[in-house]
Amino acid sequence: MTVLRGRGVPGQGSPVIASRTRSRAESSGGLSRRDLLRAALVGAGGVALGGTLAGCATPDAAGSGRTGVMIWDLFSGGDGALMQEMVGVVASANPDIAVESTTLAWGPPYYTKLAMASSGGKPPEAAVMHMSRLAGYAPGGLLEPFDLDKLAELGVGQEHFAPAVWEKAQFDGQLYALPLDTHPYIVFNNPTIVQEAGLATADGKLDLDALAGADNFLAAGRTLAEVTGETGVGWGYQRDPAGCWRMFWGLYSQNGGGYELTPGRPAALDEEAAAEVFEFLQAMVDGTVAAKNQDGNAASARFMAERTGMMFAGEWDLPMFREALPDVGATPFPAIFDTPANYADSHAFVLPRQEQADPAAREATYQVLAGLLKEGLTWASAGHIPAYQPIVEEPAYQELTPQRDYAAAAEVAVFDPDAWFTGGGSDFQVRMADAMTDTLAGEAPPRTAVTRMLSEMDRFLALPDPA
Amino acid sequence: MTVSNASVTPLAGRAAPDRRTSASRPGTRTKTSEDSLRSRDKSGYLFVAPFAVATGLFLVVPTLYGLWMSFTNQSLTGTGSEFIGFANYAEAFSDPQVWQTLGNTVWFTILSTIPLVLVALVMAVLVHTGLPGQWVWRMSFFAPYLLTSAVVWHLSNWMFQPDIGLLDTWIKGLGLQPLGWLTDENVAMFSIAGVTVWWTVGFNFLLYLAALQGIPAQQYEAATIDGAGGWRRLFSITLPQLRPITGVILVLQLLASLKVFDQIYLLTMGGPNGSTRPILEYIYDTGFTNYRLGYASAISYVFFALILVFTLVRLLPTKKEA
Repeated sequence: MTVLRGRGVPGQGSPVIASRTRSRAESSGGLSRRDLLRAALVGAGGVALGGTLAGCATPDAAGSGRTGVMIWDLFSGGDGALMQEMVGVVASANPDIAVESTTLAWGPPYYTKLAMASSGGKPPEAAVMHMSRLAGYAPGGLLEPFDLDKLAELGVGQEHFAPAVWEKAQFDGQLYALPLDTHPYIVFNNPTIVQEAGLATADGKLDLDALAGADNFLAAGRTLAEVTGETGVGWGYQRDPAGCWRMFWGLYSQNGGGYELTPGRPAALDEEAAAEVFEFLQAMVDGTVAAKNQDGNAASARFMAERTGMMFAGEWDLPMFREALPDVGATPFPAIFDTPANYADSHAFVLPRQEQADPAAREATYQVLAGLLKEGLTWASAGHIPAYQPIVEEPAYQELTPQRDYAAAAEVAVFDPDAWFTGGGSDFQVRMADAMTDTLAGEAPPRTAVTRMLSEMDRFLALPDPA
Repeated sequence: MTVSNASVTPLAGRAAPDRRTSASRPGTRTKTSEDSLRSRDKSGYLFVAPFAVATGLFLVVPTLYGLWMSFTNQSLTGTGSEFIGFANYAEAFSDPQVWQTLGNTVWFTILSTIPLVLVALVMAVLVHTGLPGQWVWRMSFFAPYLLTSAVVWHLSNWMFQPDIGLLDTWIKGLGLQPLGWLTDENVAMFSIAGVTVWWTVGFNFLLYLAALQGIPAQQYEAATIDGAGGWRRLFSITLPQLRPITGVILVLQLLASLKVFDQIYLLTMGGPNGSTRPILEYIYDTGFTNYRLGYASAISYVFFALILVFTLVRLLPTKKEA
């Protein structure tokens, strides 16, 4: 709306300015106006041209004889600095490659840009993507598969990854994504409050066994609330579509729920299992165990101000929490229901389809990506669990706390359902969260959320696959 | 149309001296320079050329290309550019999401336009009737308009914060139940309209103030001599004299409100439960998040047609007045 207004304003001003200029030009013999305009035009043209040329040039590859490799990533949080650090290490190990990494803001626009760049034929050599978005990208020909032989030469192969993650990176029998990490949705805790509530194990960590089962978990939440005097568990669900979806899908998987999302057929969920999840969440968001009407910012603020004892969040929030609570603890998602499951997604490198593939650049890209995987220890300090298993097995990783305490989450990771429209930063997650907010706020029964979700899923299934 | 309309009023005050100076110049001047005038006519095209090229490249071509796309199944991923006739339009008319989001846009337009016109009018009249320290009022009423939507989002986001936000703190201080400013389906649109009024009312205020300053003082003088009091002068002189500018402000405001996108996208992303999702967000999601450019173009054109019809209807009485 601002655009229209902005346009209106110069429209009002310009006639006055024009008439003034005219009278001045007439009196002074019409000297400088034309020259001024000409100069301005040339100047503007120069700027525009310069801008375009600079935009075209690949990272200082031009002229220097080095191969340029451009990588797009979406790490606009604290982990972005670590990625830059890793890129720096890899770049200095490969002096003949000019690596440039560009960080773009995470969210739906990132995937719009990536898709547009790929379809435009001039994408970056490599990009970071959520593995949960692969189903929307790989089938449409936006990505190119990895050459396993080349990867093997660089010491990267199937045996180095957890089977579930490797499996998720496949499409049509080929590897389309090179997993960098697994980032589960976990539970952080404040060890002091946990101790006081009597929920700690002998070594001072949160006792997950005491939280197993919905009733135990809620009881523990109430105990924590007594200690803090406010709430026990932090969960911000308002205006946080991703948070809602992660929580639901993780719990639904724990409750053994399956799904069917096949285009052209009605969506199917285990409605009973889904309703049970919402019954539990409604019981949790009661104002004591977890605050009503809370959003992500408020929940984090409360947790860091020690006004709540535990907090559901992604492990990538670790750097932020550790700043406020240096000894913050973290564990996998508690077993609220019977099936072991932990919602997670995974950052992975992909190769956007190049219109004209440059073999030298491709070669260099493989080298850089393999190098970045092996810098996983740096990556782990942001909280992410490195996908490249040799890193996880290193003693240095085993010493990282609380990272090693929730590394087990990767073994039971559940990802988003497979469909072209699902995944991190998708419209699907927004719509699912929309469908459940009334229920979570206690304004509608659990079944309402399930019905609304199913009808939204049906709407997505009826859409043509754009890829 | 909006631009030319808008340019009328503020000019009225300023253009007058210019006209006077040109009138006082000797009349012969125009005759001697007739030749140069003619050649200047041609050079005029050159001056218009940069704007014309930019408009062509960035407005006309994309608009026409969008029209073409609306008849195809073009995807953002590059596939599918086959001509599919009116299939997209048929889908748009039967898509409940289109109508629901259009309803939201209209609802926002109603909620925001009425206070944006009335509040601006009241503020302008108050400032004009001579509150002390005019420039302070002028500045503080107009200042929020200079903020970008991102800043407005940040400020209001923290004020609306559930539980720990400023507004909830006040409400709790009064002993009332906290309100789901952006999280309650029945409240969210009002909150957004409220923010929008605070943010953009300054522009309308300025237009009104300019118009107020253009009302000849003699009319007030004459009325005072005839014994008219302050209220009489307000209702018999001020308000009738403001009728033309009100028409302009109304059209500008309706068009601006129909284009609502950024503050909603930033504050609620269309939630809770789709109650604030405007049609432009649906178009954006369809085209850019779900990659269906063809269908998104079709919805844009349906929306465009509605605005066009509305504008034309509004244009008819204006002509009669003139």
